[in-house]
Amino acid sequence: MKKRMRKIASVLVMATMAMRLLAGCGKEAEATSTTVPEAAEATEEMAESEAPAELSSEDVIKAAADAGKVGNWGLGNEYEILALLAKYELPTDYLSQDFTMDGFDDDSITLASAMTYNELGLVKNDYDGGYGYGDSVKYVDMNDEGVAMMEDNIFCTKTFAKENPETVAAFLYASLKGWEYAKDHPEEAAEICYEYGSSVSPEHQAYMATEVAKLVSTDTKGEAATEIGYMDDEAMQQTLDIAKKYVKLDDSGANDTFQSMSLDDIRDKSFYEAAKASEGTFDVEKKSVAIQLKWLPQAQFMGYYVALDKGYYTEAGFENVDIVSGGGDIAETTAVNNGTVDFGVTWETNLACADASGMDLVEIAQIYQRSGLVLVYKPENFGN
Amino acid sequence: MEKEIRLQKIGRRKSLRQRAKESKKWQKITTVVYPLIFGAVLVGLWQGQILHRWFHTDTFTLPLLNKIGEIMRDNMDKILENTGATVSVAVIGLVIGSLLGYLVAVLAALFPKIGMGGPAVLGAFASVPVVAIAPVLNNWTKDLSDEASIRSMISKIIVVTLICAADMGLNAYRGLTEIKPFSEDLMAIYAAPKRTTLWKLRLPNSLPYVFTALKVSVPASIMTAIVSEYFAEYITGVGRQIRENIVLAQYATAWAYIATACLIGIAAYVILMAFQSILLRRYS
Repeated sequence: MKKRMRKIASVLVMATMAMRLLAGCGKEAEATSTTVPEAAEATEEMAESEAPAELSSEDVIKAAADAGKVGNWGLGNEYEILALLAKYELPTDYLSQDFTMDGFDDDSITLASAMTYNELGLVKNDYDGGYGYGDSVKYVDMNDEGVAMMEDNIFCTKTFAKENPETVAAFLYASLKGWEYAKDHPEEAAEICYEYGSSVSPEHQAYMATEVAKLVSTDTKGEAATEIGYMDDEAMQQTLDIAKKYVKLDDSGANDTFQSMSLDDIRDKSFYEAAKASEGTFDVEKKSVAIQLKWLPQAQFMGYYVALDKGYYTEAGFENVDIVSGGGDIAETTAVNNGTVDFGVTWETNLACADASGMDLVEIAQIYQRSGLVLVYKPENFGN
Repeated sequence: MEKEIRLQKIGRRKSLRQRAKESKKWQKITTVVYPLIFGAVLVGLWQGQILHRWFHTDTFTLPLLNKIGEIMRDNMDKILENTGATVSVAVIGLVIGSLLGYLVAVLAALFPKIGMGGPAVLGAFASVPVVAIAPVLNNWTKDLSDEASIRSMISKIIVVTLICAADMGLNAYRGLTEIKPFSEDLMAIYAAPKRTTLWKLRLPNSLPYVFTALKVSVPASIMTAIVSEYFAEYITGVGRQIRENIVLAQYATAWAYIATACLIGIAAYVILMAFQSILLRRYS
């Protein structure tokens, strides 16, 4: 009897200990979270005393950088942010943002990186997975700030391009046709993407498709870009110039190569021109190819899904085209370079860095004509 | 005449090998020499690009050793800074975790009825994968400080603490309870109070087990620190550098940091072994 009582008592003690442990976590968070608004108020006051009325982007960037609350994902997505911070002579430190906007939501990051077609939509909209801020949030656009860098492109290895010129031209021809169609019919493109194993909800997919269509058909200056996939020398040179200024590779050999790199080392226009000039029939050398995406399957890559769904690849002479999704720590440059896949989607800077350290990659088309990166903020965090 | 000489030769050769086998000195030498030979062969295979041929890889994803060494030399300051960040997280987490684990084990040994669950709870924590717990703790610790560097460090330390506490708790508990029956009886005969049994019998008995735990948790603490850096808000540390450089296809630099991580692990193990040989001298 006594033994049983002791057993019961010990179970009770254990249970209360566990409860207290769990409850303690919550309490702690509550207790400390009360200090956060105060801190926010303090920065508000600071910001207010500096600029009473409408804040310019410059003020916002400076205030956020001073507070150390600028966020980015890093992993090769950070160069435009570094360039922007350096432009205003601010320290180029940033917080590591995870792949949600929770940090922006709880104000631990007050100036958060977002792609217009993805995170910005999640912040603004209130569909599944959204944060529902609506138009109350504002953002700093990299294109307006003059630090736009070229993002999603198509690339392959120089060796592959040399050995399979028809394959490359055919793949470009069909992909560009897919992009052309997707740009004109974003809603249908979004549905197609959703069917091909989407990582996000159909509503977000539709939002993304409309935003991506804008990036594909507008250049960095906000003017209409006529040709999809066109490699604009000026925009690409601006990207490379900014990259050379702010990308520091620890490998001194690679860094020297990178600094002496010119556009001709990282892009080849001949395949794009061949695809443009073609009637649509190719003598494809490799009938089964794969393309490695930079991220999860979503409308960011709608052109390829549309081309696959509409049979454009088959028409161009392919038997099989695999669209391999990326995400997280997938290095698309490595996948293409070691031959796991034939084509890939990456950003110009990533390609240039990879080539500088010894890879054999070449860009064959520039899909996005302007930067899709913005820094989103809540005006109330900056005093209005 | 000829026959005799040959026999002699064979006899002498045999005895040499035999003698070598039996000599303690030779045995000691071989424990050092064989790993050294293995290392030298590996370096040769690597630098001579034979490894690359075996694994069908190139000098790009598996850079040559001199290249890795070059990068380490060029970036010594940056590497040391990142090493400092990783080591401080690992050491602080290891110390707090081990103390916590030992405390739980002592409580469990003293009050078996109530405390038995302690090591089990710790064990449950240890079975949560680091990749799952690190991002969660990263979010939980966001309110602890306005400085991202501080709250990131706290979150990383907590992860290391949990892992090390489990290791120490489970091992130390065994050391505190698995006592030779006669010694326990002896203490009972002396009518020794619980406290004395703890001090004179249980604690000394647990010492070898503590080192067994540390042998696992020292490398584990470094590994955990490196992995939790992947998810930390504040960008620093050897692990984070490995990740950034691999994604940017900077394999040579990534390897420089991988080598750094190895060196940290080896150094920590050597220090631990030195401690053990001093503290456990009377046991051997």
